Amino acid sequence: MIEFSHVSKVYRGVKALDDVSFTVGAGSITGFLGPNGAGKSTAMRILVGLSRATSGAATVLGRPYTELDCPGSQVGTLLDAGAQHPGRTGREILTLGAMTLGLPRSRVDEVLDLVGLTGRESRRTAGGYSLGMRQRLGIGHALLGRPRVLILDEPANGLDPQGIQWMRGLLRGLSGSGCSVLLSSHLLHEVEQVADHIVMIGRGHVLAQGTVGELSRGRSLEQTFLELTANADRSPE
Amino acid sequence: MTSSRKDSMNGTRTDDARSVGSKTRAPIPFRRLLSVETRKLFDTRSSKIMTVSLATLVIASIIGRGVVSGPELHTLIGTAGIGLGTLLPVLGILTVTGEWSHRTALTTFVLEPRRRRVLAAKCLPPLITAVTASLFAMLVAVPATAVIAGVQNVPAGWGVAPLALLGWTGTNVLVVAMGLAVGMLLLNAPAAIVICLSTPILWAVVGRLGAVGEVLTEWFDLNTTVTPLTAGDMTGDDAARLAVSTIFWIVIPMTAGAVRVIHREVN
Repeated sequence: MIEFSHVSKVYRGVKALDDVSFTVGAGSITGFLGPNGAGKSTAMRILVGLSRATSGAATVLGRPYTELDCPGSQVGTLLDAGAQHPGRTGREILTLGAMTLGLPRSRVDEVLDLVGLTGRESRRTAGGYSLGMRQRLGIGHALLGRPRVLILDEPANGLDPQGIQWMRGLLRGLSGSGCSVLLSSHLLHEVEQVADHIVMIGRGHVLAQGTVGELSRGRSLEQTFLELTANADRSPE
Repeated sequence: MTSSRKDSMNGTRTDDARSVGSKTRAPIPFRRLLSVETRKLFDTRSSKIMTVSLATLVIASIIGRGVVSGPELHTLIGTAGIGLGTLLPVLGILTVTGEWSHRTALTTFVLEPRRRRVLAAKCLPPLITAVTASLFAMLVAVPATAVIAGVQNVPAGWGVAPLALLGWTGTNVLVVAMGLAVGMLLLNAPAAIVICLSTPILWAVVGRLGAVGEVLTEWFDLNTTVTPLTAGDMTGDDAARLAVSTIFWIVIPMTAGAVRVIHREVN
C-alpha cells in the first residue's frame, strides 16, 4: 500500500534521506522508528508530495500520492497536529476538510465521536486546545474520508496514557478492517505495542526492518534500537 | 463464484463503520475548493473582526464625511474608498499568507496537491469581496446622502458618472489584487502589509525626486495610475500607464509568487 523505493533527499548539501526503501503491506501497522532528526518527517512529507525526493520514488496505493484522484479520501494524513489555525474551532477545521472531500456534514459529528472530542470542545477554537486534543483533532481529520491508508507523524505526542491506549485500540480496529497504517515515533514503547512491522531509521538510513519478533532477536527490541541508532549516530562524524 | 466472494467482501466492508467508503473518488471539483476557500475567509475570529471593521469603516467614513462636507453622493462614495484601499489589500495579503503563517498548508496541499487550483480558489473570494464592498459602500452612501440632506435641510448632490463608479470598483479590485500578489510573492504577512501600505509614502518621496522621479511615479505608482480610472475619464495614455503599473505590481509578483508556492517544499 505504501512503497519507498531508493528515496534520497539532499537538503542544502546534507543528505536527509539516503536510499530509503521499505513497504507497508495491506492491513499492516508499520512503526517508523528513529531518533529526532532521523528523517521520519522528511520521508512522510515526500510520501504525500509536500516535498520532492532528490532521487527514488515513493508511492501510495501503487501511484505517486499527487497523482491519486482525490488523495484525501483514500489516504488519511496527519503530519503535525500543531499546524492548525488557532482561531478556527475544531468543528470548523473538520468541516472544511469534509467540504473539501465532498462528505456530508454528519461525517464531522461521527469523527468527533470517534476521536472522543465532545460537542463543547469542538466549538472551542483550536488555539486553546491541549496538544492531546490537537492530536485527536488531527487524527479525526485524517479519518474523515474513511481512508484505506493512514500516515501519522508522531500521533502519540502529547497524548496522556488513556489517549495512547485509545489510539492503540483505534489503529488495531482500522488495521483489522484492512487499513494500512504508517506511524512514526521516536518512542519505542508506543510503537512496539501496536505495530506489527518496524522500520528503524537513523541519520537518513534504514537501519533495520522486519516484524517486531525478527528485530528483537530474542532480546528486547529496545536493545536492538539503541545499538543501531548509537552506531548510526557515530558513523558519519 | 467470484461475484459471491466479491459480495461477501463488500458486505464485511460496509459492516465496519471505519472501512472503505463506497463513494466515488472523483478529483475535487474547482467549485468545491472555491466554497472552502470562501468559507476560510470568514470563519476565524480575526477574519470576522476584519469583516466587521470593513463594514464599520465604510459606514462611519460615509456618514462622517457627509455630516462635515455635505450630502454629495460622489464624494461620500469616494470617501469610503480610503478605508477600503487600506483594508482590502490587507484582506488579500492575509488570505494568501495565512496557510503559511499557521502552517495549515500542510493539510490544505495534502487534501488537494494541485496547488495551482488551490491558489486560484484562494484569490477569487477576496476579489469578489472587493466588488461586494464597493457595492455596499454605494448602497450605504445613497440613504446617507438623502438623510443628511434632509437633516441639514440642504439640496442633495446626486450627480455621479456610472463610468466613474465602475472605475472606482475596478480600482478596489486592483488594490486587492496587489495585496494578493505581494502576499503570494513574500508569503509573509507583516512584510507584505508594510510594503502595500507604505508605497503611497514612498511614491510621494519618489515623485519629488526631479523629472525621473516624476516619470517613475506616473508609470509605476498604482495609486497614481488608477486616478483616471476612478475619475472615469481614462485616455489611451492613461490606460498604458495603468497597464504598466498593473504588470509591475500585480502580474509579475503574482506569477512569481504562484511559481514559488507551487514548487515550495512545505514544512
